[in-house]
Amino acid sequence: MNFSHKCMGPALAAGMAVAWTIASGQNASAPIHFTYAPIGFRLDSCESLRRHAPETMAGGVALFDYNGDGYLDVFFANGADIPSLKKNSPKYSNRLFENDGKGHFTDVTAKAGLAGTGFDNGVGVGDYDNDGREDIFVAGLHGNHLFHNDGGTFSDVTVKAGLAAPDPQYGPLWSVGAAWVDVNNDGLLDLFVVNYMAWDPDTEPKCEASPGKLDYCHPKFYKPTPNQLFLNNGDGTFRDVSAESGIRAHPGKGMGIALADFDLDGLMDFFVPNDKMTNFLFRNKGGLRFEEIAFKAGVALGEDGRFISGMGVDSRDLDNDGLPDITLAALDGETFPLFRNIGKGGFDDITRSSGLAKLTMPMAGYSPTIADFDNDGWKDIFVTRGHVQALATAAKVEIDQPNTVFHNLGGARFQALTAEAGLTAQPPARHRGSAVGDLNGDGRLDVVTTALSAAAEVWLNDSAGRSHWLELKLEGTVSNRDSIGARIKVTAGGTVQYDHVSFAAGYASSSAAPVHFGLGPAESASLIEIRWPSGILQELKNVAADQLIRVKEPARK
Amino acid sequence: MVKGYICVLPLLLISCQLGASPPAPLDAAAHAALGTALAREGKYDPAIQQYKAAIHLNSHLPAIYLNLGLAYFKSKRFPDAAAAFEEAVRADEGNFQARTLLGMSYYGCARYALAAKNLKTASDRQPENEELRYTLAQSYLWSEQYPEAIAEFRFLLTRNPDSAPAHVLLGEVLDASNQVEAATAEFEAAARAPSVPPETHFGLGYLYWKQQRLSDAGREFEAELANQPQHALALTYLGDAEMRTDRQKAADVHLRRALALDQNIWLAQLDLGILLAAGGDSEQATRHFRDAIRIDPAKPDAHYRLGRLLNSQGREREAQEEFEAVKKLAAEEPQAPLLRVTGRPRQ
Repeated sequence: MNFSHKCMGPALAAGMAVAWTIASGQNASAPIHFTYAPIGFRLDSCESLRRHAPETMAGGVALFDYNGDGYLDVFFANGADIPSLKKNSPKYSNRLFENDGKGHFTDVTAKAGLAGTGFDNGVGVGDYDNDGREDIFVAGLHGNHLFHNDGGTFSDVTVKAGLAAPDPQYGPLWSVGAAWVDVNNDGLLDLFVVNYMAWDPDTEPKCEASPGKLDYCHPKFYKPTPNQLFLNNGDGTFRDVSAESGIRAHPGKGMGIALADFDLDGLMDFFVPNDKMTNFLFRNKGGLRFEEIAFKAGVALGEDGRFISGMGVDSRDLDNDGLPDITLAALDGETFPLFRNIGKGGFDDITRSSGLAKLTMPMAGYSPTIADFDNDGWKDIFVTRGHVQALATAAKVEIDQPNTVFHNLGGARFQALTAEAGLTAQPPARHRGSAVGDLNGDGRLDVVTTALSAAAEVWLNDSAGRSHWLELKLEGTVSNRDSIGARIKVTAGGTVQYDHVSFAAGYASSSAAPVHFGLGPAESASLIEIRWPSGILQELKNVAADQLIRVKEPARK
Repeated sequence: MVKGYICVLPLLLISCQLGASPPAPLDAAAHAALGTALAREGKYDPAIQQYKAAIHLNSHLPAIYLNLGLAYFKSKRFPDAAAAFEEAVRADEGNFQARTLLGMSYYGCARYALAAKNLKTASDRQPENEELRYTLAQSYLWSEQYPEAIAEFRFLLTRNPDSAPAHVLLGEVLDASNQVEAATAEFEAAARAPSVPPETHFGLGYLYWKQQRLSDAGREFEAELANQPQHALALTYLGDAEMRTDRQKAADVHLRRALALDQNIWLAQLDLGILLAAGGDSEQATRHFRDAIRIDPAKPDAHYRLGRLLNSQGREREAQEEFEAVKKLAAEEPQAPLLRVTGRPRQ
């Protein structure tokens, strides 16, 4: 890489329409395969030889249907000038691309009003006012923004919502991601904001990789900051309950959030990986109280008890036992940990026995997303890869890396597919965020990824095989309309699998897509059981495969 | 490599040996000559005394520091030898022998960077001197000048491709510079050599182990154990590889054998604790975790394992103590690659 001293990277023409082409159709050899398609976005975090820490942490992306046409659109959070933190050039604009469902993405940023103003990092999608339109929260460096979806256009309602005030103790925070979740099951989505570390351009240390050459400093040179929890008042405003909930008592260097009801008590819990600190597992005790139990639960650290560079995270049930497991990305030499939920609030570290320790030891990753990419009934893990550093100062350290999908061989044992999965069709890069959803309605899950100072990538799933699938789009009526927190059990072909609704994805990203199940050879699901956040149970019987079904929460009996 | 003493003066007959009259004081040359005579008989301490006496009278005698250094060198007093050879080199910058011996002396007292500097100067004069370059290569290795060490060992291997020690040492350098796969290839070459040095199979097994090639690692540890059945570390790593590949019974046997040979192997104590905890023997597991902590309290692993075990037994206060130790240690330990290891803030 040969960077000039100041911000770099060409600004792409706004309004660019990009068509994708599946050149070769399905791949016959690898169980999972993707074909690259371009999209007209280049992530610009104002990289410079000064190596300000935020430069290396940008890159959130979201998939959501912004205009209600049934197709997943793509939103990219983008950087800004450093140190002014202003989007003083079009190249820093956030971007919204509308998907027409036929292979065309059109830049509709200006029309939608989502260009943004500051250094934006992550994005959380959720319909916080239950009006049937997905809103977005953009997490940024020293400034967050809540955009209300007015029906295809957005209004910045941050101040009105009460989300604009800087922290009275820590000042402006560096938010890297956010997730919407109903913490008290009142039918309203609350907001969890993931904060990284304290950053001040005037006092930021300089760290030399070699004499005269700076690289990004170790996080230990920055102070931790607390995450935030905002309770939805139901009137478009929010109340900061970080302190009273117990969240604020745990300053960290948060890099992501996984939402799940880990102990199956009907309340959503949070897992937050920290960068070179112990991870947090916030158990929801009810009554707006959370207890941090990562050590007790066995997820504070990798099995050897060492700090790792916890990056993005995802939580889904990888071994089909009904309990959501946790995986996170980290840097080379650390492995990507996998914690198997063993029930009753406990986890086993199965990084080694799953094969991930060996596979991921040389890898640096950012954004893991769990989904069934080959529709075989076992969820896989797609990880965006790339190093946090900019300079390769040690032998065998790869800064730019390809993405990798870890194919679940059944029961949470994995094989790594990189070139085999087509993921070397683009040059390696410092990949960051990722979001997953079926972009072209072919029943296979696609992935959109970002990379620092590089073009975003659309990875269209053209995996071979004729496995069946089913997608569920849930609509809460008593519960929050997005149904975040709903647990789904699908029985098909004699096998059972589980998932839950959560839009939080990997690193700084959001996948507001229907819940997708691969059914393997089964042509129907004999039983679908949904436990809504309200506690209402619903059953659907004999549902044909290969379709998206919309399920509305029944009234309480 | 180390030549004989340099005779700069004829050996004098000393009058006292004739028993004629009271001995006349010796001059510098006589002391030097006597020193050389004594050194030739292997009487290095009296030789050194004579050389020192000569220097006291005339420090400009030709080769006096060279001979003094050689006496020190022969008696393995390397720091003194280096000091003497420094004087010899100062008197004669171009003295190849003094330069070589200076480098060797620094090597002998483990000052490898200085050894490398002087041996490099010497080897520039005699680039075909393989013995000299072998020591130079090792000096580079131990002074962590890895690119230079790699170049030297590669040169030596062009001259002697079957040199198992050179393959092993090159493998060490490559491993130290994070080139694990290349290091493995060198150890594999050493293991194929007609004469395999001790520890080669263990080293190769360790490299496989680092790369999680556990079945390959196990094979090499077993090969080392075939030659050295009491190799406690080979038993430990073999047990560890077996434990990681779900061969718990074999792991248990090998780890216990390792601990029978040496109770102070941290990994063996830790792994046996893990095995016992998994098997439900919490009491014995706790004992082994505590032994691991005793051996190396600065490693967080055993604290974390013990904390989790105690927590599972409801011993929350004790568990919390271990977790607090983990937090403290993990924060202090060296970190991951690049600036996450080597960051030097310039405030």
